[in-house]
Amino acid sequence: MKFFSDVAQCFTNEKYFSALLEGLKLTLAISVGAAIIGLFLGTLVALVRLSSGKSRWMKIPRAVCNVYLVVIRGTPMALQLFIMAFIIFAIRGFPKIITAILAFGINSGAYVAENIRAGILSVDIGQTEAGRALGLTQGITMRKIIIPQAIKNVIPAIGNELIALIKETSIVSMIGMFDLTAAAQNIGSGHNLASYLGPMTVAALFYLVIVYALTFAIKQIERRLRSGDKR
Amino acid sequence: MISVKNIYKNFGDVAVLHGVSCEIERGERVVIVGPSGSGKSTLLRCMNLLETPTYGEVWLDGKLITEPDPYLHFDVIRASETYQSVLAGIKAGAPAASEEAAETEAIRKIKAEDLLKKHEGKAYDALLKKIYADNFIDVNLARRKMGMVFQHFNLFGNLTVLQNLTLAPTQLGLQTKEQAEARALELLERIGLSDKRDVYPSKLSGGQKQRIAIVRALAMNPEVMLFDEPTSALDPEMVGEVLDLIRQLAEDGMTMVIVTHEMGFAREVGTRVLFVNEGKIKEENTPSEFFEHPRDARLKEFLSKVL
Ligand SMILES: Nc1ncnc2c1ncn2[C@@H]1O[C@H](COP(=O)(O)OP(=O)(O)OP(=O)(O)O)[C@@H](O)[C@H]1O
Ligand SMILES: [Mg+2]
Repeated sequence: MKFFSDVAQCFTNEKYFSALLEGLKLTLAISVGAAIIGLFLGTLVALVRLSSGKSRWMKIPRAVCNVYLVVIRGTPMALQLFIMAFIIFAIRGFPKIITAILAFGINSGAYVAENIRAGILSVDIGQTEAGRALGLTQGITMRKIIIPQAIKNVIPAIGNELIALIKETSIVSMIGMFDLTAAAQNIGSGHNLASYLGPMTVAALFYLVIVYALTFAIKQIERRLRSGDKR
Repeated sequence: MISVKNIYKNFGDVAVLHGVSCEIERGERVVIVGPSGSGKSTLLRCMNLLETPTYGEVWLDGKLITEPDPYLHFDVIRASETYQSVLAGIKAGAPAASEEAAETEAIRKIKAEDLLKKHEGKAYDALLKKIYADNFIDVNLARRKMGMVFQHFNLFGNLTVLQNLTLAPTQLGLQTKEQAEARALELLERIGLSDKRDVYPSKLSGGQKQRIAIVRALAMNPEVMLFDEPTSALDPEMVGEVLDLIRQLAEDGMTMVIVTHEMGFAREVGTRVLFVNEGKIKEENTPSEFFEHPRDARLKEFLSKVL
């Protein structure tokens, strides 16, 4: 059968296999880079949005964060990627991988921020009050009491966000990058195998393995947090 | 040591406290009673600024912990131009009245119509700043001196019993880890819960949680303890152990403010009882007078229901 021989070729043909591997590397690089930015940015935005200061000093960052969330969550990812690639970083020779990492990181940050905010708000207000009543500052109360309890509530949602992120990076082919999806498409095209089914199946398997491994890891973390469940 | 001056508290449009003033002296055990929703918790929480009063001031040991309220400082009012013009207006209107009466009326009018905010600019701000600078103490510093015990315990769920007790003293740099642990163990010993030092709060009974919450506050060596219905969330068989601990603190001479529905306990432990109703202190007296010869009609009705 041609399908099986196509699949086999993806692994045995030096050229095809290394193309897939390069694509996989790029997919992982963008995902990891974007996840780090997303987690950092998301935490920052969540904390700013939760800050209670009434001064003008806090009002401006809060407004900026609100606009950020509305714009990022209200527009398509592909459009954000195009704006990054063709407007903001439309510089000859600018490494596309950085463009992609920033675009996905900034996008992911918005979703992570909302997850973290919800997680922090889900911790009983009495915990904050008890901390503050002892004379602890808002910062110490957050770091030592609220965030450790919020993490447990947030891990599953953050995990889902990371999985969505990995799959979403497949649109980078739209700005001419050869990630896993683009590599499979190239291998299947007319001047190579001239059949998409084999390479696409292999790419799908790669994605499935990554997502499954990540799901498993998150389950483990969740279990660990819950078995040490202290409440 | 705690001085509450004419505080008002609104939650949105709902006015919960309407001008409450009270003094808590060192060594006193003041019990606050009153119907549900009358504002007892709000009053207590205003004392350590878990709620910020809408108007009015709270002082701790002669230090202001709320923002200064201009209308509580007659010298500020008198120094304003608004006062001079209002006073002149009143004198012109009723020349016969005494100087004193005119001054009182001027202050009343300025207060009632909030004229200072409307008329005075920089000079007024500067005066408030001065009051602030002379008297203000950071609320976090003030709170170290005021332990608080909540109805729902609020032990830190992510920390062991021992860590619950040592967190604040160590994080605030008041004690080393060793000092804090030694003190914590001493306190746990006192309530007979040393064996629970490494247990998480979820594994404790309500009574144990509340006793640990009390010693967590004591670990900061506070000068006054605020209790908000410390036994209301407990099963009946656990109320006794918590009240016993509070009784011990009373014998040690701790200054306390206690909101409670336990009338017997109020009478036994309190040195003074306040009746709060509809956001005001309607009556205050020694426990025996308070319970035997209530004067306020609402208090009589309240006591007839709860006793
Ligand atoms: N954060 C809040 N937001 C809005 N309304 C509030 C808030 N806290 C209290 N209130 C309202 O203020 C009123 C007084 O509340 P408070 O908790 O001080 O009463 P209480 O005397 O302690 O009553 P209880 O005996 O039931 O504890 C109630 O009507 C309550 O609904
Ligand atoms: Mg209450």
